[in-house]
Amino acid sequence: MSQASAAAAAAPGPATTTPAAPHRTAPRSGWFTIPEPLRLVFRQFPLVTYAPNELPLRSPSNRDLPVLYVFASDQDAWKGLPSYNPSCLKWQTFLKLAGVQFRIAPSSNHASPTGALPFLIPSSSPSDAASQMPIPSNKLERYALEKGAEKLADTTGSKLDAYQTLLDHRIRNAWLYALYLSPGNSSLLSQLYVEPCSASMVVRTTIMHKLRRAAEAEVLQSIGAPRVPPTTLYIGAEQAFEALSAGLGSDEWFFGNSRPGLFDAAVFAYTHLLLDDNLAWIDTRLRDSLLKFPALVEHRKRLLSRCWGKTE
Amino acid sequence: MELHVWGEAFGLPSIDPECLAAISYLHHAVPRSEWSLIASNDVSVSPDYVLPALHHAGTWISGYLNIVQHLAAHTSFTSADDDLTEAQRADALAYASYLSSRGSALLAFFLYVSPSAWTELTRPAYSSLLRFPLTWTVPLKIRSAAIAKTEHLGLDHLAADVDPEDGSSESKVTAPVTATGFLRLPTRPSVSVSMQPEQAAAIRLQSLLEDFFLTLDELRGNKAYFLGDEKPTSLDFLAFGYLRLLRVRTPHPFVEKCMARNPAGANLIKFLDTMQTNIIQWKDGYTLPWTRPAAQSLVTLTSRFADNATENIPGVGDSWKSWRGDGVKESDGTRDPTQVLFAVGAAVAGLAAVGGAVAFKALSPFGDTSHRWDAPKAGLYQFGDIGTIFGSLPGFESPASPPIPSPMERDTVYQGEKVEVAVDVEP
Repeated sequence: MSQASAAAAAAPGPATTTPAAPHRTAPRSGWFTIPEPLRLVFRQFPLVTYAPNELPLRSPSNRDLPVLYVFASDQDAWKGLPSYNPSCLKWQTFLKLAGVQFRIAPSSNHASPTGALPFLIPSSSPSDAASQMPIPSNKLERYALEKGAEKLADTTGSKLDAYQTLLDHRIRNAWLYALYLSPGNSSLLSQLYVEPCSASMVVRTTIMHKLRRAAEAEVLQSIGAPRVPPTTLYIGAEQAFEALSAGLGSDEWFFGNSRPGLFDAAVFAYTHLLLDDNLAWIDTRLRDSLLKFPALVEHRKRLLSRCWGKTE
Repeated sequence: MELHVWGEAFGLPSIDPECLAAISYLHHAVPRSEWSLIASNDVSVSPDYVLPALHHAGTWISGYLNIVQHLAAHTSFTSADDDLTEAQRADALAYASYLSSRGSALLAFFLYVSPSAWTELTRPAYSSLLRFPLTWTVPLKIRSAAIAKTEHLGLDHLAADVDPEDGSSESKVTAPVTATGFLRLPTRPSVSVSMQPEQAAAIRLQSLLEDFFLTLDELRGNKAYFLGDEKPTSLDFLAFGYLRLLRVRTPHPFVEKCMARNPAGANLIKFLDTMQTNIIQWKDGYTLPWTRPAAQSLVTLTSRFADNATENIPGVGDSWKSWRGDGVKESDGTRDPTQVLFAVGAAVAGLAAVGGAVAFKALSPFGDTSHRWDAPKAGLYQFGDIGTIFGSLPGFESPASPPIPSPMERDTVYQGEKVEVAVDVEP
C-alpha cells in the first residue's frame, strides 16, 4: 500500500495536484498510467537529435524550368543526355524539337501518376496549384505544341498512323526481345534497369525475372501466339526497317516534311539507342539489321546533331 | 499444298480475318487443283501455333504475310505483289501492320468483347466448329486474348461491366432521402454522369472506327484497289478479310450503321463490293477445295482439353505454359537456369501448402462437440479408479457419495442440438 501511494505521488498530473487519500489514488494508476520504471526509460528520449538532412542533389533546385522525368542515370540527367528508354527518348527528342526549354530528371515508373514514364511537371509557382499538375505522356504532344517555340511538322495523317504501327509492333517486339529476353544482353539490361534499383542480389534477381516475364507477355500478346521464335521477331523488325527506309526515301525527314516531327522522334528513339556506342550490345542482331539501311542511320545522325549538337 | 484455317462461320469460309484473307488470296493466286483447304480449328497443327498455316513441301508457314511471301519466293504461281514499287511495298507492309493491330482490335471488340455478340453470335459459331469438351475451354481462351487486345483502346472494361441480358450496366440508384431522413434535393446530373458506359464507349468507338476507315480510304483514294487500278495485291485481300468480318451482322449493328454514314466507310463498302464481284467467287456457289481434317482421336481430344484446363489453374498455369515451351525463346531446347529454380521453388511451395492444409485438417478441433461436467467427487471417488473400486465396496460406503438416481428422478431441462442438460432430482 505504501508503494502504491509513493508511485501515485511521483506521477504528475491530477494525482499530484489533487492530494487525495491513498485509497482514491490507487484506481488512477490503472490502465492508462505508465509504470514508473518505463516512464524513467522514456524520459531519456530523444537520446540524440541529428541535424536535418540536406536535400538530395537531384531534387529540384528551382522550379523555373519544366522537368521531364525519364529513365536515365544521375550523371546523364545532369548533362541532359538522351534517355535509354525508347518512349522516354521519343518525348525528350520531341520536346527538344519543339523548342521547349526543360530539364530531365531520373525517375522510375513508381513515381509516375500514370504508372509509366515519361511525365512532365511544368514550371510552376507554389501558389498556383493548377500549374503543378503532372502531364502524362499522352498529353505531351499538345503541351509541346502550345509551349514550344518552333513550328513543327503536321503530325496528323493516315500514313503516319500506319507506319506508327510498324514501330509499335514489329520494332518494339524485337527491341523487347533484344534488350529484355536475349541472354547475351542480360548484362546491359541489368546495368540499365536493375542495378539502379537495389544492391541486394535477391531483389535484383526478382526484378530481373519480373521484367523479363512482363516483356515476354507483351511480345506474346502483340504477336497473338503462345510461342514465338526470336528469329521471327528479328525478321519482322528487319522488314519494318526496310519499309521505314523506303518510306523515308531520299528525303531528309519522314513524309516529305521540311522539319522533323513526332514520327521522326519516334524512329530516332529506337535507331539512336541501337546505334549508340555507350550501350554495350552483345547480341547485335537487331543493330545489324538496322545497319543495312543507311537512310535510317543518316536520319539518326541528322537528328542527333540537331538536338544534341554532336556528331559521332 | 494444304491450307489449315479456322472453319466456317457467319456464312463466310472462316471466322478469322487472316484465314479469310489467306483463303481468298490462295483462291485468287493458285489454281484449284493445286491446293486443299482444311478447317483444322487447332492452332497446334503448325509449329508457330498460328492459323492460317500453309503446309507446303514439308515446311509449315504460318501467318498471312508469311504465306504470301512464301508463295512468291518458292512457287511458280504469279504473285499479286510482283509489280509493286519499293515505296508501295513499304506502304503494303505498314498498312498490313495497321490492319493486324488496329483492325484486329476493333474486330475483337465487336465479335468477342461485346457481350451480346459473344453470346448470340461468336460463341455459338465456335461451338459448331469445335468438338465437345473443347467448347468449354478454347472459346474462352480466344475471348480472353481478344479482351487483352482491346486493352490499349480502353474498351476492355466493357466485357465485365455490361450485363448481357439488357445491355446496360448496373443502374445507379440513389436513395431519395439523405442519411438524416430529409428528402434529397433532385440533382441535375451532368452529361458525362448520366451517360451509360456503353454510350460513352460508343462515342469513342465511333471515332476509332472513323479513324480506321479514313486511314484505309486515304491510301485507296480513287483507285479500284488499295495500291492500283488493275489488279488486287496481297494488301487488298487482307483488308477484305478484316472489313468483311467487321460487316458481319451483330445484334447491335453499330459498325454497319457507322460504315454507311461515314463517307470513307461508304467508299470501303464499294471496295468490298468490287472485291466480291470481281475477285472473290466463292460467294456464288463456287466450292472451295475443302478437305476433311484428319479425325482426332479421343486421346488427342482429351489431352488438348486437359492441357487447356491445366493452363487455367491459378498459380500452376504459367509454370505449365512455360514448361510446355511457350514464350519467346530459341527452340534449341536449353532451359533458363532461373526458370528451373523458380519451377523447383514453386513446386516446394505448393507441396508445403498442401502439407500445411493436411496438417491443419488433422488437428483436433478446438473444443469437443460434447462436454461433460461431473459433480465434485467426494469420499473415495476422488482417488481415481482405485477409489471407485474401493468406494463401491459395501464397507467403505461413504455418506457423501451420490446416490444413483432412478430414471424417474432424472429430469431433462434443456435439450439443444449439441447440448443436453440433465439434472438429478433428489426425492
